[in-house]
Amino acid sequence: MESNRTSSGGLDEPGRVVHGGDGHVHLRVVDRSPPEGAARRPWDWARWLVVALGGMSVASFVGSFLLPWWRFWLYAPQYPKGLMLVISLTGMGGDVHEIDLLNHYIGMKHLADAAPNERMLAGYGVAAIGVLTLAGMALAGKKLNKWVAIPAVAFPVVFLSDSFYWLYSFGHDLDPKAPLRIGAFTPELFGNGQIGQFATFAQPAAGFWVALAGVALAVAANVVRSRVCTHCAHASECSLVCPRAMVLPDKARSAS
Amino acid sequence: MRAHTIVTATLLATGITAAIVVGCENKAVQQQQQASGNLGASTSVADLMKSRGLSEADVEAALKTYVPTGKMDEYYIFASGGQSGNVDVIGVPSMRMLKVIGVFTPESWQGWGFGGDSDKILEGGNQGAHKIRWADMHHPNLSETKGEYDGQYLFVNDKANARVAVVDLADFATKQIVPNPLAASDHGGAFVTPDTDYVIETSQYPSPLGREYAPITEYKEKYRGVAIFWKFDRQKGRIDPSKSWALELPPYTQDLADAGKLDSDGWAFINSFNTEMAVGGTLDGKPPVESGASQNDMDYLHVINWKKAEALVNAGKTKTIAGMRVLTMDVAGPEGVLTLVGEPKSPHGCDVTPDGKQVIVGGKLDTHTTIYDIAKMKALIEQKKFDGKDAYGLPILPFKESIAGQVEIGLGPLHTVFDDKGNAYTSVFIESVVAKWSYKDYKKPVEKLKVHYNIGHILSAEGDTVSPDGKYVVAMNKMSMDRFLPVGPLYPQNFQLIDVDGEKMRYLADMPLPNAEPHYSQMIKADKIKAVKAYKPGTNALGEIDPAKVEGGKERIVRNGNKVEVFMTAIRSHFTPDRIEVEEGDEVTIHISSLETAEDQTHGFTIDMYNVNVSLEPGKHENISFKADMPGSYPMYCTEFCSALHLEMMGYFLVKPKKK
Ligand SMILES: [Cu+2]
Repeated sequence: MESNRTSSGGLDEPGRVVHGGDGHVHLRVVDRSPPEGAARRPWDWARWLVVALGGMSVASFVGSFLLPWWRFWLYAPQYPKGLMLVISLTGMGGDVHEIDLLNHYIGMKHLADAAPNERMLAGYGVAAIGVLTLAGMALAGKKLNKWVAIPAVAFPVVFLSDSFYWLYSFGHDLDPKAPLRIGAFTPELFGNGQIGQFATFAQPAAGFWVALAGVALAVAANVVRSRVCTHCAHASECSLVCPRAMVLPDKARSAS
Repeated sequence: MRAHTIVTATLLATGITAAIVVGCENKAVQQQQQASGNLGASTSVADLMKSRGLSEADVEAALKTYVPTGKMDEYYIFASGGQSGNVDVIGVPSMRMLKVIGVFTPESWQGWGFGGDSDKILEGGNQGAHKIRWADMHHPNLSETKGEYDGQYLFVNDKANARVAVVDLADFATKQIVPNPLAASDHGGAFVTPDTDYVIETSQYPSPLGREYAPITEYKEKYRGVAIFWKFDRQKGRIDPSKSWALELPPYTQDLADAGKLDSDGWAFINSFNTEMAVGGTLDGKPPVESGASQNDMDYLHVINWKKAEALVNAGKTKTIAGMRVLTMDVAGPEGVLTLVGEPKSPHGCDVTPDGKQVIVGGKLDTHTTIYDIAKMKALIEQKKFDGKDAYGLPILPFKESIAGQVEIGLGPLHTVFDDKGNAYTSVFIESVVAKWSYKDYKKPVEKLKVHYNIGHILSAEGDTVSPDGKYVVAMNKMSMDRFLPVGPLYPQNFQLIDVDGEKMRYLADMPLPNAEPHYSQMIKADKIKAVKAYKPGTNALGEIDPAKVEGGKERIVRNGNKVEVFMTAIRSHFTPDRIEVEEGDEVTIHISSLETAEDQTHGFTIDMYNVNVSLEPGKHENISFKADMPGSYPMYCTEFCSALHLEMMGYFLVKPKKK
């Protein structure tokens, strides 16, 4: 196979006559990728698979923006049905009023005071991820390629660490004049916990899982994309931005 | 090929993620399911029966009525609270009291009548110059749609002061009391027509209409009975007195009433006694009413074509008395709107059968129930086949041709209720039994069950609808004698729950009624009642969002001359503001909203010594107005143990004395 590769750089030389072993005359296409057309063509198409996967990833993030990300349940004898707090990227739902009411006994701040900037910025964050992921998938060249999935991967990580920060801060910044004094604590972000007479249970909700699917899709897109790049005839021209980025597959092929 | 594999793997991963999402959400719910404890059977049932002296029938009854913790009753009973003036709500089959609804009488737990908005409703029921704060409640009636209970409203009457109240079953609270402007007492009410177009209230003891004075010697000329047809506005959930009207009745003592249904829709029936028009006069050597009124062998069942009466009222054929349009007897008689038919000796009970074809009257002083055939009576009225007229010119139907039959029930038959198998159950007062008989074949009772004692009213599950449920009958006994622990000379009444599902009637449970003598009751399937768990924030006693509702953070005190308005909130565990300072003589209004939204989180609010007490269920708003006429420093506090810091839920109401 290696023997069929041309050693010279530069553009292909269309119309160069090569004599094949079978005695027929072939019109050879010369590039750096494996010469078999069968192997080359799918990788041309895979550029668009990358964009499709990237698009699905972005769609997942947009979807997760509309869904609840986390749920907390609180159970006590006098709340047989339990209380539930639903966290989404932009706000809170469920029994916020009642939980605030109970929290005031231990001097905890109002839930509405948690993560105000984050909730305000979340929409921009999702938009930024969408733009960065899509642009990265479509435009990044060899050198940038390994970074394009980073925004998507980082988003849930930032969410989790930020949530942990706020839980910690709420549990540690209690009003010293509160009627009930319980020591500083951090509510559990995952699974079972206990606060006073309340058994708590927390777990991710649909939005978080859909966002994780978005991460998986972004990573998958990124993997496919790096395979495309290794099969690309233009690797040598490639740096931060892919030179073939916006060329349609047919043109890319006929131009090769 | 690899690209294809990656796509497949990604899609699979997404699918699995989705599955995890669903799975986890379920797990959280399951976590809540608690394993029920096993108490162990250390004592065998047989030993228990022996040690407690229980028969097999007792154990069976216990098993049929026991409702363990966490489970609920199958039916509600809405019982008249008699002299308590309030409604008792009872669960069936457990026969546990669920609630007392404050209606005519102040009820302090609900803050009913202690300075809040409920005062306005109670005031709506004042008669003349008198602030009436008690009632002799007799007949609760549930609202109906097409002859079936719809679980929306309950109507009750007050015999002593001639009033009708509307209770909303969304929050189990009274919303309106309407005073009867014509009569001085009522009894045949509050009975509804099959679609609750009208709530019928019939007078009991005659008096001059509009409650004027007339010497008793002019009884026959001036005293009258009356049936009020209160128009119910279902949209508003209120009786509309301006659209209501009345039918003048002769001064016989009208008793119980019932509205026709199905075939007899548009008709109403009222029995009566004392057609002798005895008025006593024992000091003058005349017989008391009890014997004077028991001379005739026949009294009169009143047969009323209310649809036709309504048309005559709409046509303006009325006379206005005390602000109410009255269709008088001289119009109603000739028009065939009001017709009489004989009924044996001082009857009681007047109950239309579920099919609407018959009306059954208990003989009380006669041993029979008489079953009137409504179609026959309608035909006789149509053909004007009368047996003469009474003293007021009202046509009288021939008795024999009006009835379908008579059944020899026993001594003192009163009220009749029905099951789903064509059986009637009649309360037999003097004999102290429930008599079961078929209202289809008019034979003697198939069974009699002794009750303890002196049964008055009787009720059965959805018993006066077009489709009774059968299952349960309750004997409402006036006396309990040896049934309960002694509590002094005033004994509890006794509700006896009877199983009528089988071939034979069986006792299930006794329930002492400790607060008054209930009269009629109605039993409705529990799932028809849609009770709210909390109010929409700012809802007042009238069920409206109050214009003065107070939101958190907007609490304030506003003074305007000598008028002080306090806009207050209540939430665990504080009132805001918690200090109110006024001058002696100020007119104070406290607008107070509960900011609670959670189920069963009720506060109360009282100002000591000021006779102020309201109940603040979640979302409830109250307006309390009074004059600060007593200088001093008064605690105000939450009267409901709402939280661990309930005792701390207090403040001060300070009234500075006037400078002298
Ligand atoms: Cu309280």
